[in-house]
Amino acid sequence: MITSRQLIEQIQKNVGVPWQSQRSDGFSDGILFGSADATVTGIVTTFTPTLDVLRKAVNSGKNTIICREAPTYSRGERAPLFWRNGSAPSKELLDNDPVWHAKQDFISKNNLVIIRFVDNWDARNRDGQLRGLSRALGWDSFHGARGSGEDVYDPRDVYFHLPKTSLNSLAEGIKKKLNVGGLRVIGRPESTVTKVALTHGLLLVADAERILRERDTDVVVVGDAVEWEAGPYFQDLVTAGKAKGLVLLGEESSEEPGSGEMAEWLKGFVTELPIEWIPAGEPFWTLI
Amino acid sequence: MKQTGLSRRRFCQLTGSGLLLSPLFMRAQSKSGSSLTAREVVARIKKNVGVPWHTPTADEFKVGDPDVPISGITTTFMSTLDLLERSMAAGNNFVITHEPTFWSAADVVSDLRDDPLYEFKLNFIEKNKMVVWRFHDHWHAHRPDGIFTGWNKTMGWESYASPAANPFSHEYVIPETSLEELARDMQTKLKTRSMRLVGDPKLRVTKLAHAGHYIQQCMQALQKVDVLMVFECREWEAAEYVRDAIASGQKKALIQLPHEGGEEAGMDECARWLRTFVSEVPIKFIPSGDPFWMPA
Repeated sequence: MITSRQLIEQIQKNVGVPWQSQRSDGFSDGILFGSADATVTGIVTTFTPTLDVLRKAVNSGKNTIICREAPTYSRGERAPLFWRNGSAPSKELLDNDPVWHAKQDFISKNNLVIIRFVDNWDARNRDGQLRGLSRALGWDSFHGARGSGEDVYDPRDVYFHLPKTSLNSLAEGIKKKLNVGGLRVIGRPESTVTKVALTHGLLLVADAERILRERDTDVVVVGDAVEWEAGPYFQDLVTAGKAKGLVLLGEESSEEPGSGEMAEWLKGFVTELPIEWIPAGEPFWTLI
Repeated sequence: MKQTGLSRRRFCQLTGSGLLLSPLFMRAQSKSGSSLTAREVVARIKKNVGVPWHTPTADEFKVGDPDVPISGITTTFMSTLDLLERSMAAGNNFVITHEPTFWSAADVVSDLRDDPLYEFKLNFIEKNKMVVWRFHDHWHAHRPDGIFTGWNKTMGWESYASPAANPFSHEYVIPETSLEELARDMQTKLKTRSMRLVGDPKLRVTKLAHAGHYIQQCMQALQKVDVLMVFECREWEAAEYVRDAIASGQKKALIQLPHEGGEEAGMDECARWLRTFVSEVPIKFIPSGDPFWMPA
């Protein structure tokens, strides 16, 4: 029997980097909702604690949810503007919101504990999000660092060398492998591609500049891009003949395999409790 | 080559009409035969927009010399490199863009000095003596909002728009349909390729609202309507909120358009509006187009 406080202490002991309570994001790693003294009955890892994920957790007898996104539809007021576009929901707005009410009631009625674990997970020497995504794609053997025979996934080593294919075939393959309907592409479908930078989350122009400076890259595969920033930056790269394209998986699809990776990592030192990765699933469907 | 041909054709048309006969007129004139400058066009926009000109604003010259005679005007959602090339091919060296040129909200170029793409785009603009001016804040501030006037016209929804609760709300009551039928109609009319949806395809819907980019706006709007229409919302905000609304038993849906699909029609409207007070040069709306496609 351990409490959620003890679970966090175990995570801090095993994460391998000095624990930082606050980085640039709006919320801090740690408990967002629930009690530090609650007994952990089981652990769920997920990209985002949707009401649906919370129900599945309760149905499987697990009360502790470790997530990347907060349950309140925002990265918080302190988050940089490209992470929130506008103000986070105010307390007054949340207090009067029927959707949040339903979710909050469910959290408190079931004594759930929601733990954010992002900044310190991402600060590790091995990029768990990248490793999870690469393995979900079946790209492990294409990773640049594989030549050394080591399973490293250094956070900055995002470079993959794939068998030559067209941008369209690459995108179709990713779509099938990750089962993502809303996958979006910039670039000419018939372009030949082989050098791929795979990363996750939101791509900023500075990220794209760094990638292209470091390596000759045909395509960047990532979660999302601001449509007046890295999106048109790639449109222009394609027009100028300086890159072949950009593949956007969607935030959830790009980050969710990392939650699976996290579940496996937790099993390495939390042995007395059931641990399950429950994917939130892509929020969208498409007409195509 | 193509662009020289176009210019020559226009030149011949204009000489034929006798516009170029006055020697005075010929001193400082573009190939269009007019001496109109981008700065003069913008002065007329300021005079006609009907709201006080607020500063600081994004609505400024972003690149090029505003005082050279212009050959024609392109209005568009976004001045991408591809759009600039197409504008030159159409013979228009003045681009009025709703969104940025240099990949950030404020077109900050100080960080881009060593960026080869920036240099490439800048060279293209300078070589072709183009001028780019952004028309964002005040086109939205125009009453009614020029962007949504265009959107309503393209959708054929002018008569469905509810009297606005405030200048920034855009609510509609449309003849009842299903979410999927609505989405298909919107996809066709907006020529969009990358629409994404949340909600039951068979959901019967009649009340809709544009909710802006922000989660606060989305939360305030959802309880009043069946469907939220958003563009450029971060995925962990609006989509997750509507997903939870549905999971909690509410009959709701979300249509997430590409930003372009939500606003490009408003720059078609801008071209129509400009023609009411700029007649010296050709004015053409050239869509920058949906940046995305989706694989099968």
